[in-house]
Amino acid sequence: MKKRFFLLCSILLVPSISGQAAEPLGWLTKDADWAASKSQLQAFGEKFSSASDMYAYLQVTAGGGDTLQWPQMGEPAYDWSGVYTRTGGGLSFDPDIAAGETTAKLTPAGAAARQAKIDRVNSTGGEYDPISDCRPPGHPRWATEPFLHEFVVTPNQSWLMNEMVNDVRRIYTDGSAHTLPEDAYASANGDSIGFWTDGMLVIHTQYLMSGQYQRGTQPDYSDQVQVVERWKKIDGVVLEADFWVFDPVNLAKPWYTRQSWTKLANDDNLLRLRYWDCRENQNNEILQKSDGTSQFMDFDFIENDAEVSTDEEVK
Amino acid sequence: MKIKASILLLLTAMPIGAALAHHSGAMFNYGEMVEVTGVVKEFQYTNPHSWLLVDVTNADGSVTTWGFEAEGPSTLMRAGIRKNDLPPGTKITIRGNPLKDGRSAGAWIDAVVDGKTINPRNGFAVVPAAK
Repeated sequence: MKKRFFLLCSILLVPSISGQAAEPLGWLTKDADWAASKSQLQAFGEKFSSASDMYAYLQVTAGGGDTLQWPQMGEPAYDWSGVYTRTGGGLSFDPDIAAGETTAKLTPAGAAARQAKIDRVNSTGGEYDPISDCRPPGHPRWATEPFLHEFVVTPNQSWLMNEMVNDVRRIYTDGSAHTLPEDAYASANGDSIGFWTDGMLVIHTQYLMSGQYQRGTQPDYSDQVQVVERWKKIDGVVLEADFWVFDPVNLAKPWYTRQSWTKLANDDNLLRLRYWDCRENQNNEILQKSDGTSQFMDFDFIENDAEVSTDEEVK
Repeated sequence: MKIKASILLLLTAMPIGAALAHHSGAMFNYGEMVEVTGVVKEFQYTNPHSWLLVDVTNADGSVTTWGFEAEGPSTLMRAGIRKNDLPPGTKITIRGNPLKDGRSAGAWIDAVVDGKTINPRNGFAVVPAAK
C-alpha cells in the first residue's frame, strides 16, 4: 500500500522531472570508451537540481521498479554472496585518479575547505582521522573504505557491510518512503531507500552527517549531502556502482564516480567479517594532538612512554 | 643505536599499506627505515591493527622490546600470515618505518623468518575469486 501511494505521488511529479532529463540513461560499461561514458554519466547527474529529483526520475522511468521474490535471490543478478574488497582507488573517492587529486567541481566554500586540509597536512606533516577511535566513516566516505565487505540482498532489504567498525548500510526496498522530515535525524549512514530495475539496485540516501570523502586532500561534505547510487553485478566477481553525490555547500555540480568491489578468492573460507573494536588492544589507542595530527598514547610493551618519547603530548 | 638496528634513509614515497591504514600515519617517519633482529615476544593479532612485539638484545645485554604495527587479522590472512605463524621465541629480522618520537615502535614493512620474506602489505592485493 505504501509503495502504491509513493508511486502515485512520484508519477504526479513526472512532468517537471522529465523536463530536465528527457531520456533515461542505462548502465554504461567501464570499457575502452570509459572517459566518454563517464562524461555522459556526469552530465546526466547535472540535469537534476537535487538527489531527490534524480531518484524520483529514475524510479518513475523504471515504472516504480521490480518487485523481487525470494526464489529470485539465487539468480546471478541478485546473488551477491562472497567476501569482497574495494577493487582499487586507495584514498581517492574517484578511483580513476590519484588520492592527491579530485574530479569534484567544488563551490568556493568547498575549494577553501579542501585547501585548508592541504595546508594543514603540509604544515604539520599529518592529520588526525576521526575514525581512529572506531567512529564510523559515514557515507559517502563509506565507498572509499578498504578491508572486507559482504553484501546481502533480500526482496525487501539489502545490507551493505564493511568489516571496519562493523559498518552496515541498510537499504530498504520494500516500497517505503524516507522517514518523514519531522521524525528524521542525521546519522553516519543516513536513511537509504531503494528499488530494483533491470538487475540494478538504485539507492537514495539522505539525513547524513557532515564528513570528508577521505583524509589527506579529499574534499569535505556537509550535512546537506545526499547520494544516488546504482549498483550492478558485472561478471560474477565484480560489483560496480554509479555514485552521484549532491551537496549544495561543497559541490557546484553533482559529483559522479564509478565505485567497484571485487569478490575475493576464499577457497578455505578463512576470510569472514569479524567484530572490530578499537579498545581490544591498548596499542591501538590514538591521541588527537593539539596540532591536529595523530600519536599513539601508551604502549603496553614500553614501561614508561613519557620518559622515552620526545613528544610533549605523550609526556 | 646500540641495539642491532640500522637506520636507512628511504627515497621512496609513503608505502601504500600505510596509506590504507585505519588511522593517519602522521606519527611515522616514512623517510626512515629501521631494521632489527631479535625474537618474537608476542603476536597481538587484533583489530583494527595487529602488533608484533620483538625482543632485541642490545650490546650491553639489556633487552628492548620493539612493536611493529600491521593491519588487522583479515588483511594479514590475505597476506598469508596466520596467528600461529610467529610464536614466541621465533627468530626474526624485521623492518619498518619508525615513530618520530623515539619510542621503539614502527609501521611494519616486511620481515625475514627462516630465510623467507613475509610482507603484511601483500594483504592489500586484490585476488579475485574464480568466475
